[in-house]
Amino acid sequence: MAVDIRLASTCVRLKPESIDELTNLVTPGDVITSDTGFMRGHGTFMEDGKHHASVAGVVQRVNKLICVKPLKTRYNGEVGDIVVGRIIEVGMKRWKVDTHSKLDSVLMLSSVNLPGGELRRRSEEDEKLMRYYLKEGDLISAEVQSVFNDGSLSLHTRSLKYGKLGQGSLYLVSPSLIKRRKTHFHNLPCGVTVILGNNGYVWVCPTEGEVSEQTGGYEQNFEPVVRADREVVARIGNCVQSLADHRMMLFDTSILYTYEASLKFPVKDMMKPEVKTEVIDLARQRLERDGT
Amino acid sequence: MLTNKVFLKKTKKGSILKIVREHYLRDDISCGSSVCELCQHDDKGPVLEEKLTNLSQKVDQSHYIIPDTNVVLHQIDVLEDLSIQNVIILQTVIEEVRHRSAPAYKRLKDILTNPTKHFYNFANEFNKETYVEREPGEKSNDRNDRAIREAAYWYQQHLKKLESEIDIVLLTNDADNRTKAKEKGLTSFTIHEYVKGLKDNGTLLDKLAHVGTGLVHEKDKVQFPEHLPLNEILRGIKSGKYLQGSFIASRENYLEANVSVKSEDRWIFIQGHMNLNRAVNDDTVAIEMLPEEEWSCPSSLMLEETEEKTDDADIEAEDAKLKQNKVPKDLRQPTGRVVGIIKRNWRQYCGILQQSAIKEATRHLFLPAEKRIPKIRIETRQAKDLSTQRIVVAIDSWPRNSRYPHGHFVRKLGNVGDKDTENEVLLLEHDVPHSNFSEAVLNFLPKMPWTITDEDMKHRTDLRHITVCSVDPPGCTDIDDALHCRPLANGNLEVGVHIADVSHFIRPGNALDKEASNRGTTVYLVDKRIDMVPELLSSNLCSLRCDVDRFAFTVIWEMTHEAEIVNTKFMKSVIESRASLTYGEAQMIIDDPTRNDDIATSLRGLNKLAKILKQKRIDKGALTLASPEIRFNIDSETHDPIDVQAKQLLDTNSMVEEFMLLANISTAQKIHEEFPNCAVLRRHPSPPPSNFDPLIKAALSKGFTMNVSTGKDLADSLNSAVIENDKYFNTMLRIMTTRCMMQAVYFCSGMIPEAEYLHYGLASEIYTHFTSPIRRYSDILVHRLLAVCIGADASYPELLDKHKTQLVCNNLNYRHKMAQYAGRSSVNLHTHLFFKKRVVDEDGYILFVRKNAVQVLIPKYGLEATLYLNTDQRKKGPLFVFNEEENTQTCGGISLHVFDRVIIQISIDRSNVQHLKLQIKLVQPQIPEFSVAPTEDDKSTDDEPPTKKQKLDI
Amino acid sequence: MAGIELLSDQGFRVDGRKANELRRIQCRLGVFTQADGSAYIEQGNTKILAAVYGPHEIRGSRSKALHDKVLVNCQYSMATFSTGERKRRPRGDRKSKEMTMHLQQTFDAAILTSLYPRSQIDIFVEVLQSDGGNYCASVNAATLALIDAGIPLKDYVCACSASFVNDKPIMDISYLEESSGGAELIVATLPKSEQIVFLEMNSRLHEDNLSHVLDMAVKGCKDIHDVLDQAVREHVGEVAAISGLE
Repeated sequence: MAVDIRLASTCVRLKPESIDELTNLVTPGDVITSDTGFMRGHGTFMEDGKHHASVAGVVQRVNKLICVKPLKTRYNGEVGDIVVGRIIEVGMKRWKVDTHSKLDSVLMLSSVNLPGGELRRRSEEDEKLMRYYLKEGDLISAEVQSVFNDGSLSLHTRSLKYGKLGQGSLYLVSPSLIKRRKTHFHNLPCGVTVILGNNGYVWVCPTEGEVSEQTGGYEQNFEPVVRADREVVARIGNCVQSLADHRMMLFDTSILYTYEASLKFPVKDMMKPEVKTEVIDLARQRLERDGT
Repeated sequence: MLTNKVFLKKTKKGSILKIVREHYLRDDISCGSSVCELCQHDDKGPVLEEKLTNLSQKVDQSHYIIPDTNVVLHQIDVLEDLSIQNVIILQTVIEEVRHRSAPAYKRLKDILTNPTKHFYNFANEFNKETYVEREPGEKSNDRNDRAIREAAYWYQQHLKKLESEIDIVLLTNDADNRTKAKEKGLTSFTIHEYVKGLKDNGTLLDKLAHVGTGLVHEKDKVQFPEHLPLNEILRGIKSGKYLQGSFIASRENYLEANVSVKSEDRWIFIQGHMNLNRAVNDDTVAIEMLPEEEWSCPSSLMLEETEEKTDDADIEAEDAKLKQNKVPKDLRQPTGRVVGIIKRNWRQYCGILQQSAIKEATRHLFLPAEKRIPKIRIETRQAKDLSTQRIVVAIDSWPRNSRYPHGHFVRKLGNVGDKDTENEVLLLEHDVPHSNFSEAVLNFLPKMPWTITDEDMKHRTDLRHITVCSVDPPGCTDIDDALHCRPLANGNLEVGVHIADVSHFIRPGNALDKEASNRGTTVYLVDKRIDMVPELLSSNLCSLRCDVDRFAFTVIWEMTHEAEIVNTKFMKSVIESRASLTYGEAQMIIDDPTRNDDIATSLRGLNKLAKILKQKRIDKGALTLASPEIRFNIDSETHDPIDVQAKQLLDTNSMVEEFMLLANISTAQKIHEEFPNCAVLRRHPSPPPSNFDPLIKAALSKGFTMNVSTGKDLADSLNSAVIENDKYFNTMLRIMTTRCMMQAVYFCSGMIPEAEYLHYGLASEIYTHFTSPIRRYSDILVHRLLAVCIGADASYPELLDKHKTQLVCNNLNYRHKMAQYAGRSSVNLHTHLFFKKRVVDEDGYILFVRKNAVQVLIPKYGLEATLYLNTDQRKKGPLFVFNEEENTQTCGGISLHVFDRVIIQISIDRSNVQHLKLQIKLVQPQIPEFSVAPTEDDKSTDDEPPTKKQKLDI
Repeated sequence: MAGIELLSDQGFRVDGRKANELRRIQCRLGVFTQADGSAYIEQGNTKILAAVYGPHEIRGSRSKALHDKVLVNCQYSMATFSTGERKRRPRGDRKSKEMTMHLQQTFDAAILTSLYPRSQIDIFVEVLQSDGGNYCASVNAATLALIDAGIPLKDYVCACSASFVNDKPIMDISYLEESSGGAELIVATLPKSEQIVFLEMNSRLHEDNLSHVLDMAVKGCKDIHDVLDQAVREHVGEVAAISGLE
């Protein structure tokens, strides 16, 4: 097996070509305004009648509301968001799901589609079978149903497109890199399905036929995936990773363009810094061309 | 501005440690020249001048001097000379000097702070341009030399850039260094070349030290064994092969010395040239123990280096002579030999030039005033001038092939025999700071006229209504204590001791305080007083004179009539003394039944209590000791030379003393209670039993057994050892006991275990000095501590830092000891002057019997002199026979014992005009061919023997 | 004449700094991708890595959860190779436990803890090389990591040490100066409001000198703040520029 090893010193840190000093950039403790007419939003606090920033980031004003948006943060769920999460605990009538938010999210037994029709009553039998449906470590896709007082999320999978995820790869990126779109489920033409969770969890798997729809995803297909498919999944995965490393927004087009730009390299070389940079640059240029 | 260099690797104690230290290189270091406009000078402005004066013919340009380390180390006397100015001292040099010689470092620092010298300290190690990295394989010395050259080169270029006329001259005695410097285009000389080129180089040339160059006598053969290198010594010490200790030469015999071994707390005896191996008094040396059969003991010889001995006298022969003396086994002491010098502790020595046979010779021998220091060979062209002068000389080196160390002339003090010169010598030899108080110090004195403000009264109790009086020796101007005693309503007595509040005037940390702290004590010479604090304070504002308001620190006890303390109070106060009495006056008032005023009752009350206190103290085991000095103390009262036996201590003396002791003890308890870690206390360790051996032996010869197991036993034994018809015997015993004692020392309470606080002589568990702040700095510290205890004053950082306090204490101990020695020397000096004009017969007592001499104490003059018995001059007549067992010297049927009363003729030996010596001859008992006839009784009384005013410091 | 001269007459310290100068500070934010926030700082030869995870659900026993605020959990450890002598340093020895507690207290005071009830923030600090001022550098590194993680703070927390040599206060002392036996004052402040969140002193110092030394240390904190703030702004600006955030 050939291994590619290089010295740490050859790693180049990303530098933008030019840094424009951002005017509305604040760091913790900075006074944003002493005008009391504003409303206090996220990333700010009041002291001595002044608005102070509590995080480092960019000040955003919406009417009277002042917030500071940090560059990186845990996922702040909103109702309707699509998330990908992992079951970490099975409890009384509920599953605890890790969604990279500040507190674990909850998936109620009543908020899932169970095999055998939408309007089925949840019986005690079902409670006992909870672990049969979803057990610790399983991945799911879901939608945010509501947000509790303490900020934790309640999820639901009351749609056939949500539910347990089968064979594929999970990629973790910063939630802020996921572009909000109408749909976060993309069947890319290369034969790969990508689920861009708003929480920064990205699921990549080979596109399947209509088979699993009847079972609500609880039946797992453990058929080996063919090598060609696996390679495509890996390539898309690497694209997602590359984009994230370069702090590019993730959405179907950007992934697709990156995928296409990467085709001239073998999958295994894609994560080399210089290849990564080249691929991303190509994709970026194409996106910019589209933009204008 | 900052650059980072990781630069140090070091190994420590076996395991290898990599030590990485940062080293910041800066670009903001000024060159210190006033020519320069490029550098940013610090607040004090540039140090080096633009117009230069020190022009050497060697250099035709004006220049700055850069000396290397060895030049600074060895030629500090030259650098100190006023004519050497505008010198750049590199940091590399300073650090090396600091590492290698503490005294040179201190002197260098003094020069650097002297604005008239224009010495500039350039931090080349921190300068970006002049820093050099040690190259692999390069020795650290070579690297430093390179750093020095680099810095010199930088200076040269820097000055060139400024288009200034000033050049740089690198002074180094290292030929290699010089060549390399010249390759770089630097001007470089040896210091000798440079000084010779100076226009006015008269005295400067003499000051040049000759290290490793010249001055080697061709006839000198290698005589001494080589010293071991330092690393070998250190290895030896670790393995226990060698011992480290400080070298103390014997005063009595120049061929003998003792080394106090650091690790074992014992003394190792060293004898003979070879074994002493060029060690000089005070050096830190490494010694090796000799095999037991070679052990020796002090020879009981009084041996002074006579002047007849010439340079090339064979020291081996001398050693051989010593060896012949077989030493009985039981007398043998652990004996060793010096194998190497760990640290030289040379200072500058006062003395005179030994007259040379050849008038024009430039090489001379120098006779130090201190007997423990060997003669020093120096080179001077002004021998003629110097022959009648007291001069100061420094040692440079002591090569193996030289009998004497090599040195160089530093300065002259004045004519021999001149009283001022002699005093100066005395003060210098005892390291007594005696220059006038500087302006900076005097600035901190209160402005006159001085008045008491309301602010002052805030923390003070007004005691002006109480009848207070002081009792002191006559002529005393620095009165630091006053007393009172009055009955209380409840039948008890109130006793107050009022001590001058010096700490009110000397605030911590200012120049006045620092000066006082350095001086440590007032030094009393026979005709002079070297004050610790300026006169305005010592004789006026602090002195508790009568009929004026003075600040005091007061201790007030409530006592029963049996002298039991009911309670103790401390306060700052204002008092007005009603009378300044002498001991005699006070005694008269007490004894005068017609006087019944406040003062008289007060004194009588005090006197009564003091007697009880004294008895209590003696019952506890306090020692009453005697020493010749104490006799002088009594003398000072009447200013008359009186017979010692006839004179008794007055009650009033001991009255004052008792209350001072009481005040000291009370204070010690108080400050120790409040500051267990940083109280300044005084302890007097109990002497090790072996110290008493001579005393026991001597007493036994008269049939008395001394019990020395405790202080109490000793006191009892002393009291019982009385011979009816020989009244002086007891006093002699007490004098001898005094010699067995350890030194009392100041210490900081946090530094040693509480069990060792004991004051042996006073039989007190705890003791301090509180009662003489005008003349002792320790008392000022105690005052400050006490003031903090009672909330009258704020503390300050140094006061509570036990390490700093201990350092101050160490200095005080040193100063105190030196002051005592200086005082004694002053008496000796005046005794000499006194006898210069006369020959006197006196009673004396034999104190010790030595192998070739007896030491005689002459009580009347408090003088101790040596009577040499079998001297070379005595060609005829029977010789004395020394009996070691019985400790006697016998000649012609007459034996001399310890304690024997003899009559002695005292005169001055005028055989050498330069070097007068006191000489005694035996009158009685008459020994044919030895004793001399009594002188005619023509004692003139117009010229009195010297008296000495010295207070007793217990 | 024992020991080394810590402050020369000319005002230079052993390493060439003046009394009121900090050591060189170099720092970087976001050195790890896995952690929510991370930072690396060098203060002279003291090198520290800090990583922050959270806020997240309490791991381990739920009972530690605080109903009204976030639980700050710290872990301080020193690498075996961090000092001159290689030494195994098991976690949880007395010294690092103490340090852990100090860090916890410090950041409890600076994080806006009430925003995240029932959750937990982990701060991991690892000393890679130690040359004095470990606590200070740890605090500074952790602050950067917290900022990187986007965790709301009242202000930066900056820590600086000071000592007292030759009657002069000196700032940001190195191991050499630390071990010379003098007093060591360590202070962590919120530099903008000059509030002290943590203060520790080793060995004795007279109260008269305390204010001088404290002033020096607080001034050091402010200087450190300037350096850190600069680094944070650069980092944020850089990242913002890359991701095209406006």
